[in-house]
Formats: sequence, structure tokens, C-alpha cells
Amino acid sequence: MDLSSNIRIGPFEIFLPTQPLPPEPQRGPSHDYPGRLFIVEGIDGSGKSTQLSLLHKWLESRGYGVVFSEWNSSPLVKDTTKLGKKKKMLTPATFSLIHSTDFADRTEKSILPLLKAGAVVLCDRYVYTAFARDVARGMDRQWVRHLYEFAVKPTVAFYFRVPLETAIGRITAARDCLKYYEAGMDLGLSDDPIQSFRIFQGRILDEYERMVDEFGLTVIDATLPVEEQQVLVRQIAQSNLQNATELRIKP
Amino acid sequence: MRQTYGKLLPGMKLSDLAGKLIVIEGTDGAGRTTQINMLKPWLEQLGHAVLDTGMTRSPLAGDGIRRAKEGNNLGRVTQSLFYATDFIDRLENEIAPALRAGFVVLTDRYIFSLMARAHVRGVDPGWIKAIYSVALQPDAVFYLRVGIEELIPRVVFSRGFDYWESGMDLFPRLDMYESYCNYQKALLAEFDRLSEQYKFDTIDASAEPRTVFSLLQERILKVLDPNHHRPPEPVNNMDQEKWPSAGSHGEESASATESYVAKLVFRPFVASLRHAKGSNGNGNGHSWVHGER
Repeated sequence: MDLSSNIRIGPFEIFLPTQPLPPEPQRGPSHDYPGRLFIVEGIDGSGKSTQLSLLHKWLESRGYGVVFSEWNSSPLVKDTTKLGKKKKMLTPATFSLIHSTDFADRTEKSILPLLKAGAVVLCDRYVYTAFARDVARGMDRQWVRHLYEFAVKPTVAFYFRVPLETAIGRITAARDCLKYYEAGMDLGLSDDPIQSFRIFQGRILDEYERMVDEFGLTVIDATLPVEEQQVLVRQIAQSNLQNATELRIKP
Repeated sequence: MRQTYGKLLPGMKLSDLAGKLIVIEGTDGAGRTTQINMLKPWLEQLGHAVLDTGMTRSPLAGDGIRRAKEGNNLGRVTQSLFYATDFIDRLENEIAPALRAGFVVLTDRYIFSLMARAHVRGVDPGWIKAIYSVALQPDAVFYLRVGIEELIPRVVFSRGFDYWESGMDLFPRLDMYESYCNYQKALLAEFDRLSEQYKFDTIDASAEPRTVFSLLQERILKVLDPNHHRPPEPVNNMDQEKWPSAGSHGEESASATESYVAKLVFRPFVASLRHAKGSNGNGNGHSWVHGER
């Protein structure tokens, strides 16, 4: 085994020389694994989680093996993220890095192996959340994109587009108070959490809009009624499920 | 002016990082910790304020990394990024503020160990290099080099095999001895390669610790004072014999010989760097002296 190998193909698979090399994750049109990867993106209050959970139930009822993975949920990493947020220790750089660590653990232990096994993997937030938030916090756009080069490119990346004021209205109506980092209070944009949230989410929205073309995000108008959005989401998912593995025993 | 390796972190001003950043690199068992434990009190005797730091000592990610390693199921990309989080936390909250305050920063390992570990695990070198493009370029990198034959008795006969030091995540089918040899050889090859690329100052660390220490003293003086002037004599007449002897590796003996001045003035000041940032509650001096566990 050549340990000093210099092959530049992204962090995965170099140590399994008997297997075919995987495609370059971010640059190819999509991944080549038998599974499917559907992810949802959008600013807080865009309704993306609701849409994903409806898609989840529908896919299960159709007999697919569905696995859900949430942003910031790695059992190995989330305590560190929690500590950093609670004690307000995170800078834009460490905020970015700890979230990428969490995402890496989920990619290595669940997303990638599940896709190889043929599962339909659903992610609430994906690398685009990091690209939007970290750049809104002042991180270098290229640096952050490079950081996530190990990520698998989704089959479909749904972006739920919603005007800023609509999203803010939904969030402030549903919550008593905004969390420190959620409102971007670490950036010192404003002493008022609502005002800070508005400025910060505005920046994030700008980043999302810039990524629509860059990454070919599938835009869903999130001001439409929930049911209408779900019809669209299911149609698009359906058209990407040809030859996908179904469970032998249907639920 | 100080430089990074290409990219700048938000809020990092390079113009006022006046202190000296001195890196001690080398594989496990090369004697880095022993040397730093001798260098620190010596530099303080010369009147320099010293910060020593090292891998997994960040208040943010240190405990998390240790917990993750206990389970022995830390993937290579996750591992690389967890260590990067630890490194950047220390870079922003310890190393940069100390340099700004004119300290000599002695760091036990730097980005090079992290790059070497990632490379031997098959992680794309370009990827890891781009992440560390935000790191500060040090004033000197001293690479304590020990060959594999020398390394085995040093490490194995003193503390036994460790899962991660043996690279068991890479060679699960080998026994720990074979895995250790393969892994450390691969690391040495990586270090040698990085040494070329980043122009390390290589020191043969198979010599007696006291000899290595003398070599380091000589070269560090040149870094601190490029004009070769003798630095001022120490203010208190510390007995040379009280210094940690070549054979003593413990932290206790090093801290026991620290000067009174260093304890009273420098230590609390270092601790206050973090307090001043208001970033966390870890103000006890202990985090500054513990090595990687």
C-alpha cells in the first residue's frame, strides 16, 4: 500500500485501492451511488422542515428505505457545538469548523454508507446552509466551499424561497426569543435581537440567491400553500426515483 | 509583518502580532514535551513572557476530541476537522492574543502534525492545506527527528501501545506493534516531505535530551535576537542544577523551577488574555500545561 499517495481525489476512498474511485463529489453532476439524496434548504421560517417531513412520510408509504439526517446532530460532535454556543466561545471560523466536523461525521458514518446501500437519504439543511451562514459571518466564500469538498452532491437540493419579512413574521410569531447565534448576535450588528436577526437573515438570503445558479438549486416558492408546495416536491422527487431500491417488506 | 499561508480569518490583524511564534514538531516520542518543559522556564529566566500550547488543549474542542477518540470510531475527515477546530480556537484565542502582547509562543506541534496525520490517512493534501491557509506562519519550526528504530523503545517501553498512536484506525487487521511501525514510518516519511516543503530546522533528536536542549537554545536565541546580542542576564540567580535534568520528563519538575516572576506576573496575565475576550470560563492555569492525552 502506498502511504505517501498524492492522488488528489477528495478525502474519500483513497485507502480502498481495489474499489473503483468515486466521482469528485462537488464537481460532478450528481453522485453515482445507488441511493438518492434529497436535501432541503432555506432561511429560518421558510417551511422547509415541514415539507421534508411530508416528503418523508410519502416516501415511506411508497416502500422506500428512508433515512433522515438533521443538521448539527452528530452524537460525537454536538456536545462541543452546544458548549461553544452556550458559552459564546465560537468565532466565525470555529463556528464554521465545528459545523463542518459534525457534517463530516454524519457523512462518514451515515450519509455516504447509506447512499451506497441504496437508501433514500433526507437531509434537513446541507452544505449550502454552511455556505450561506459562514459567509454571512465574514468567512471567505472559497475557503468555506473548499472545507466541504468531501460532501456528496445531492440528487436534488430543494431551496424554499421566501421573502425576508414573511420568514421573520413566522419565526417571531412562533418563538418567545431568538437564540444568540441564530440571531447573528455574535456579529454585533445590532443590540436588538430582532433587528440583528433581520440583518443577518438578509445576508443569508443574499447568499442563498447567489447559490441558486452556482449549484443548480431547485427553487420552490415557499409562499404557496403547504399542499401545493408538497405536490411539486413529490413530483420532482418521483422523477428522480427511477430504479431506486425499494424495501421488500413494505411498511 | 507576519504572514498567513494565504487566507486571512475575519478579525485577524497581522500588523500587531509582534511576539515570536516557535513551533516544536516531531512524531510521538520525539521528546517535544520534554524540550518545551525545559525551554519555557529558560525563556522566562531570560525575561520573555511565554505561552505554551499544544494539540487538543483548546477549551472549545479539547474534551470533545478526547471523548470522540475513546470510542475509536472517529472517521478521518471528521478527525481532521475536529483537530482543525481545536487548532483555530487556540490560534484565535490564545496564540494571536499572546503574539499581540509580545509573548514568545512555544507550540507543541502545529499544522504540520495535523497535515501529516491527515495525509497518511489518505485525506487529500490539497484539501487540508487549504483549510490551514489561514494559519500564521511561524518564526521557526524545529523538527525533532527520531528514526523508527529509536522511537519504538522510547514509546513502547515507557507507556505501551496506544490505539491512535499506533494508527489502528488505519491498519485494523495488523497487531498493534506492526500497525505502530507502519503508521509511524508513514508519518516520518510525511514529516520529511513537509520538512522540505516548509523548510523545517531539523534537529537530530536521537541525541541526549540535554544536547537537544542546547541546540534548541542556540537556535532560539537567533530567532529572538537576529543580531546575536546576548540577552540580559536573568534577574534572579537560579541555580543551573535545579533545572530539569536530561532524564526528568515530568511537568512537575519543570514548573517547580519556574521563576517567581514568571509565576506572579506572566501566568495570570496569560490567563487574563482569555478573560479579556470574555469568551469562556476556563481561566485556571492548568489548561496551559497539560499535554495531549
